[in-house]
Amino acid sequence: MADYQLFIDGEYVDAASGDTFATYEPATGQKLADVAKADREDTQRAIGAARKAFDEGPWPKMSGAERAAKLNKVADLIEAKAEKLSELEARDGGGTIKKAMFADIPGGVSAFRWFARCAEEQPDRVDLEGTPFPPSSNYKRYEPQGVTTGIIPWNFPFIMAAWKIAPSLAAGNCAVIKPASFTSITALALGEIFQEADIPAGVVNIVAGPGGTVGEELASNPLVDKTAFTGSTEVGRRIMQLASGTVKPVTLELGGKSANIVLDDADLDLAAGAVLFGTFLHNGQVCESGTRALVHRSILDEFVALLVERAQKIVIGDPLDFTTDLGPLVSRGQVETVERYVKLGRDEVGEPVVGGSKPTGLADGLDTEAFFQPTIFTGVDNKAKIAQEEIFGPVLCVIPYDTDDEAVAIANDSIYGLAGGVQSTNIERAQSIADRMRTGTVWVNDYHLIDPQRPFGGYKQSGIGRELGVEGYNVYRQVKHVHTNPGGTRDNYIHFSALSGEI
Amino acid sequence: MRVDVTDRAREVVERAGRARPGTLTVTIGTGCCESTAPFLYEDFWPGPDQEPVGTVGDVVVYAPDYVRALYPGDESVTLDVIDELAESLSIETEFGCRLVLRGPRTDSATEPDACPVPAAGPARVVTGSLPEALRGLRIR
Repeated sequence: MADYQLFIDGEYVDAASGDTFATYEPATGQKLADVAKADREDTQRAIGAARKAFDEGPWPKMSGAERAAKLNKVADLIEAKAEKLSELEARDGGGTIKKAMFADIPGGVSAFRWFARCAEEQPDRVDLEGTPFPPSSNYKRYEPQGVTTGIIPWNFPFIMAAWKIAPSLAAGNCAVIKPASFTSITALALGEIFQEADIPAGVVNIVAGPGGTVGEELASNPLVDKTAFTGSTEVGRRIMQLASGTVKPVTLELGGKSANIVLDDADLDLAAGAVLFGTFLHNGQVCESGTRALVHRSILDEFVALLVERAQKIVIGDPLDFTTDLGPLVSRGQVETVERYVKLGRDEVGEPVVGGSKPTGLADGLDTEAFFQPTIFTGVDNKAKIAQEEIFGPVLCVIPYDTDDEAVAIANDSIYGLAGGVQSTNIERAQSIADRMRTGTVWVNDYHLIDPQRPFGGYKQSGIGRELGVEGYNVYRQVKHVHTNPGGTRDNYIHFSALSGEI
Repeated sequence: MRVDVTDRAREVVERAGRARPGTLTVTIGTGCCESTAPFLYEDFWPGPDQEPVGTVGDVVVYAPDYVRALYPGDESVTLDVIDELAESLSIETEFGCRLVLRGPRTDSATEPDACPVPAAGPARVVTGSLPEALRGLRIR
């Protein structure tokens, strides 16, 4: 039996094939657990369970208040298990225990609570005023999409599972979720919480396995009504193609290469904090990371010196130690990717001003090959590969500029449009720049703060639709218009006039 | 842009060809947790900005304008394979491996072996506690 089983139709089960895959702690390279490896058959079974739960079960028929009570119970149970879930998250993905406890787990709780509130407060029916066709009346009715699927990335596995499951269930849908293979165990652990919260069988199903089979099935199966994905732009394109076979709506949150603009009037102390946090949180393995710092040329030298001094103080080490700022990357393979880009950076730009290699002096038992130092290149041209391609690692490009217009142009010179930042003491000026940035989120004098009540998503090749906010709730709902003619005499019917009155 | 292919990458693509009845395509795409990476798909529709940049046997490799512009002329990348769990919808993930891009002229057969994973140490436990300043705060 696998240590972590699939969660299908309200029960934990092994894969039909009996296959498993190992998941490792990136910090040590040691095996953490065996996980049941789903294939197409398991995935189809999970989709079938969700379909049956939606078509025949109580969940979509419950009131919003009833569903909200269940989702708040889920949130309570997550809070009660926060320490255990945080440790699992830190071990499985290599993110720090500190991040797990102030981002991942409370973020999951807040997502379930927000969408519970949506279920309670967002109306299912809206009566429409007036009509061009008297004496008819009209109303809009919001209904669940049906069966929704979600494919989530490895960088924030718990919170991403919450972002896909909570809005789906709040709106009355039934869901099938595929966590990433590197980091599947906290999402699978959610099954136990759904059991304890008495979520009916089949309403949530969680299947781990290869994207080439499980992901393909979740995006293309005709019994699925909507699919959502967070991950790479190229996979987003593929999901659109697969979903198009049965014209499923898709929500995609894809890549980014976000710009964090430091204006010449910025408080350099505060701005340096925002740039370092915006880049190096979770080793830059965050889709909205501000990995392009656009710095006004008049403050460039002073600001870069400050960045270098502070970057050297970032504590790299065991992710289970609360004093650690950065743990390992998710895998040795990810470190290889970062090394490839650092080499490209050296070729195109020159030596980094800090970092550029794996750290030394880590505690015994930690796998040095899975760690990488915070790395900063300065004087970078925005056309360089390291300024255009998403590295998904701890690499910051400092790009100088001379005018606000030039900063906006450089910020927008990317195929992506997920997020960005502006650091300034002049709020009006900063907001004016924020308004010109072609991105879904801009932080003024902050970075990385995401609240479930605010919409999150991308412009351009960073995605379609929004997660979170009321917008992220409504993508899980269909809207129906109901027109009602009260009947009575033929005078109440336009069609008699339109068709000669003889019909 | 030029695409070189290691023998192992060629073997993986050939294996996928035997497993899937449709037409295979490799597309080099971008973004998020994959960074810039190759994706092996069945019956894929290349977008209007994607053009062939190479082949792996009978399988055409495409790249979009954006990527081709970053690797102009004869500048090359090498298509290789790592034996590691992987994400994406790329077909080879079924086989427990992942196609990856490496720098030019890489031959994985001649690369030095990776350092071994360190021996398991004593059981690690959570050390310390959440700093006071972060209690009750969240960033998500």
